[in-house]
Amino acid sequence: MSLRKLLLGAIAAIGLTATAALAEPKTVTLWHIYNFESDMIHYGIKAFNESQSEYRIEPRLVPYTNINPELIKAIATGTPPDLTVINDPVVASFSSQGQLTDLTDRIAKSKIINLDVYYKGPLASSQWKGRRYSVAREVNALALYYNADMFRAKGLDPDKPPKTWSEVVAAAEKLRDPAKGVYGIGFCAHSSEQAVFQWLPFLWQAGGSIDKLDQPEATQALQLWVDLVQKGLASRDVINQQQREVTSTFIAGGSAMAVGGPWELPNLQKDAKFDWRVAVLPVKDDKNIKASSLGGFHFAIPKGAKEVDGAFKVIEFMSNATLFNEGWKAGLLAPRSDIELKDPQWPQAYGVFHEQIKTAIQRGPHPQWPDLSRPIQIAIQEALTGTKPANVALQEAAKKIQPILAKTPL
Amino acid sequence: MRHVLPRLAGLRPKRILYPCLATIGVAIYLFPIYWMLISGFKNSAEIFANPPTFVPRDPNLEAFEFVFVHENIARYLRNSLIIAIPVMALTLILGSMGAYAMSRIRSRIVDFALIVVLMLQVFPDALVATPVFIVFQTLGILNTFLAVILATTSKLLAFALVILRPMFRQVPLELEEASFVDGCSQFQAFLRIALPIMRVPLLVVGAIVFVQAYGQFVYPLTLMNQQSLQPGTVGIYGFVGSEHADWHRVMAFSSIYVLPILVLFLLLQKKIVAGLTAGALK
Amino acid sequence: MARTRSPLLYVFLAVPVAYLLAFIGFPIVFNVTMSFQEVTIGNLAMFFRPFVGLDNYREVIADPTFRKVLINSLIFVFANVVGQISIGLCVALFFAENFAGAHYLRGLLLSAWMLPGLVVGALWKWMYATDYGVANYVLAKLRIVNGPVHWLSDPAMGLTAVNIAHIWYIMPFSMILIAAGLTTIPQEQYEAAALDGAGAVRRFRHVTLPALSPTLLAVACLVTIYSMRAFDMIVSLTHGGPLDSTNVLPLLSYQFSFEQFQFGVGAAIGTFAFILVIVVALVYVRTLNKEVSL
Repeated sequence: MSLRKLLLGAIAAIGLTATAALAEPKTVTLWHIYNFESDMIHYGIKAFNESQSEYRIEPRLVPYTNINPELIKAIATGTPPDLTVINDPVVASFSSQGQLTDLTDRIAKSKIINLDVYYKGPLASSQWKGRRYSVAREVNALALYYNADMFRAKGLDPDKPPKTWSEVVAAAEKLRDPAKGVYGIGFCAHSSEQAVFQWLPFLWQAGGSIDKLDQPEATQALQLWVDLVQKGLASRDVINQQQREVTSTFIAGGSAMAVGGPWELPNLQKDAKFDWRVAVLPVKDDKNIKASSLGGFHFAIPKGAKEVDGAFKVIEFMSNATLFNEGWKAGLLAPRSDIELKDPQWPQAYGVFHEQIKTAIQRGPHPQWPDLSRPIQIAIQEALTGTKPANVALQEAAKKIQPILAKTPL
Repeated sequence: MRHVLPRLAGLRPKRILYPCLATIGVAIYLFPIYWMLISGFKNSAEIFANPPTFVPRDPNLEAFEFVFVHENIARYLRNSLIIAIPVMALTLILGSMGAYAMSRIRSRIVDFALIVVLMLQVFPDALVATPVFIVFQTLGILNTFLAVILATTSKLLAFALVILRPMFRQVPLELEEASFVDGCSQFQAFLRIALPIMRVPLLVVGAIVFVQAYGQFVYPLTLMNQQSLQPGTVGIYGFVGSEHADWHRVMAFSSIYVLPILVLFLLLQKKIVAGLTAGALK
Repeated sequence: MARTRSPLLYVFLAVPVAYLLAFIGFPIVFNVTMSFQEVTIGNLAMFFRPFVGLDNYREVIADPTFRKVLINSLIFVFANVVGQISIGLCVALFFAENFAGAHYLRGLLLSAWMLPGLVVGALWKWMYATDYGVANYVLAKLRIVNGPVHWLSDPAMGLTAVNIAHIWYIMPFSMILIAAGLTTIPQEQYEAAALDGAGAVRRFRHVTLPALSPTLLAVACLVTIYSMRAFDMIVSLTHGGPLDSTNVLPLLSYQFSFEQFQFGVGAAIGTFAFILVIVVALVYVRTLNKEVSL
């Protein structure tokens, strides 16, 4: 036997024993959209990989702009990741088409995921026809940011933020300062799902719902926005600003109040050079209905995933309480009611969002949610640009939405 | 005096007026680029400040630092080059062959070929990504640069054909015919006569193809699912999330990303000048 | 002609065409097929799906948004062809004067076109912002406008704003191609014209323009096709809004496919764009043939 063969044999032997002792971890591919370094996913991936040696997460950052097309393509061609994050209103679009793995039984058996403690909203988003296809990763809800310094400068009490629609309008009128380029309030009416996300709270506060857009409640909700823009209390640019631009404007001092989600907190912390605070969204004066929109991403295992067991282990790992503590550092809330952060960052904001989340309602679930959303987007833009009166715009939207809801109710 | 003025007027524009005009014009034109560059130094509040600030109030290198330290920009640039250089070579080879043939064949076939070539260009990447993916899945070369190179070339080839065809037309037929008399084959005529004369247009087309290949986004994203293989554009798009976007980082990254090719282009301009003065084109 | 054309030329022609057919022929067929089928997230990758005839097309035509978007697309393409070629030609001719620094300045211009569409869209969106945008700021300082211009929030203004931004973005590309075309015009022709006493304008009309017209035609054709599939920049600039006033066919097609998950309808819209491009290609080839016979 040559020396070389001997050496090779030795290496092989060592290799064998090594394998026996430490099996090569199985890979769980995970697609996510979080490039933001403070997002808990990075902590979660690292902690998971360190916590055990059976599986190893291989993450891939898919730019948010392309996550849905990429997922659809990957599932369709049989090359999906083992695990992915997915935006809550589209879970039903995927699950109703059988594109996600049914997790009902696994969740029932799980010792870690206890659905009883989850909020109703994310639970509703994650199911379709009684089966469960996703587990909420985090939740968020809209609230009202305000600039306390501007409140003081205009003689408003920063400890008493507006609580009703009329108070909001009155405050916006006082706070607006055209000479300094300051608007009273900012909200998002961008021609995309974001506009619907931001408008729905007002619809619900007015006592309306998307199956009754032709009713006066819906008109009142839209008219509130129209008035804010037409009176110059909000910039006309709201129809072309995404949510992040609305809050960026607020941070830059371009508006005194802004409707926004908790994900903005790290940005505010970093860049807002004034005393900013958060208040729960106002209610309509005569109705007193508290409501907000619920958002957030879920974990789901696409159809055709190869490492379902491993992927579910990751979901379980990502659903543990420590991780949700991490979540708040990026302004994300736990999807369950049993978690109270003891010493949270931004305590004032935490209190408000924690309160707000209880009144937050999910969009859908409906397999054709995008088809319901688009007519609303159009109606909002028509009313805000003055192309059509709010009630006419909404009646047209209702005509498009009602047949869809007649076939598949909410 | 009267005969001096016209002479001065004839001289001045080129020496002084033109360069000044050109500099001012280019400076105004490139204002958005300046805006990109300084936005990389601003924080997100200042980007949205009213009135806008033309010089960053409190310039900070955080975004640039982040891009270098956390983003592995060297890997992104390397991947971009691994895609762009072969695409350029392949497109130039196929493009000059096809364009040469189109400029020499007098037949309806050329019309037909041109229409086919143009027809194939209309769908944006995002829409054909799925079928393109299926093609490369069938070929079994997913997750390789080869797939991205082949796909990207198919996107840029039409451009090379359309642009090079009329330029090959400008190569005098007599030159080639003379070479045929000397016993050159068609292939030799293409290689030794047409291509050298076409040096400058080929250089320009090559450079343009390179830049476009360097900026590819959808095909690499869709054909390669490993983070470590993705080019810089995917890195830039990654900063724009669902709810918030790190615009200053986007701008910092894209400034760094464009810089090397811009420098390359400027150096190339010199080559083009050299090519011209050497009488490559008569 | 002294010599019959070698078969090699046909091989030269066949190779790139075959290449293109191999790699994008199938995707095109796939898309066109989809436009006659009922396509869901579930059957997207299959080739045989429920056939629905012209239903998708009927839906597209019945949608008032589509008509608006079709017109937007035509305006967008037309504005881009005219804008890019006229400005590009002027700039290329100006830089062809070979003054000191001309080549570098011309090269610098290209940096606009090197940027990712996402970045260009975001930059122009900031610059166009009614309140904090540079555009209004400068226009107001120069006293060109009285009140702020609602570049992107006025449906009547949106498409103009997008056109300006897109011409800015792609014009350097057209310009450099025209400049390359200029270099292929033999210098003797100018010298001969100058000897005949032709002035600058006549030299341009009788030497430059005829010699350059094949290039201009080619650039026009490319700009048409590229504008027809312009996408990234518009998504990030306006996402088609306000009220679809800046929506164009590829974006609408994308929205139907990947935001509404109505892939069949999206494919049908794509097919409309496809037919438009065939028309453009036919016109282009026809015009080329006329040139040859002249």
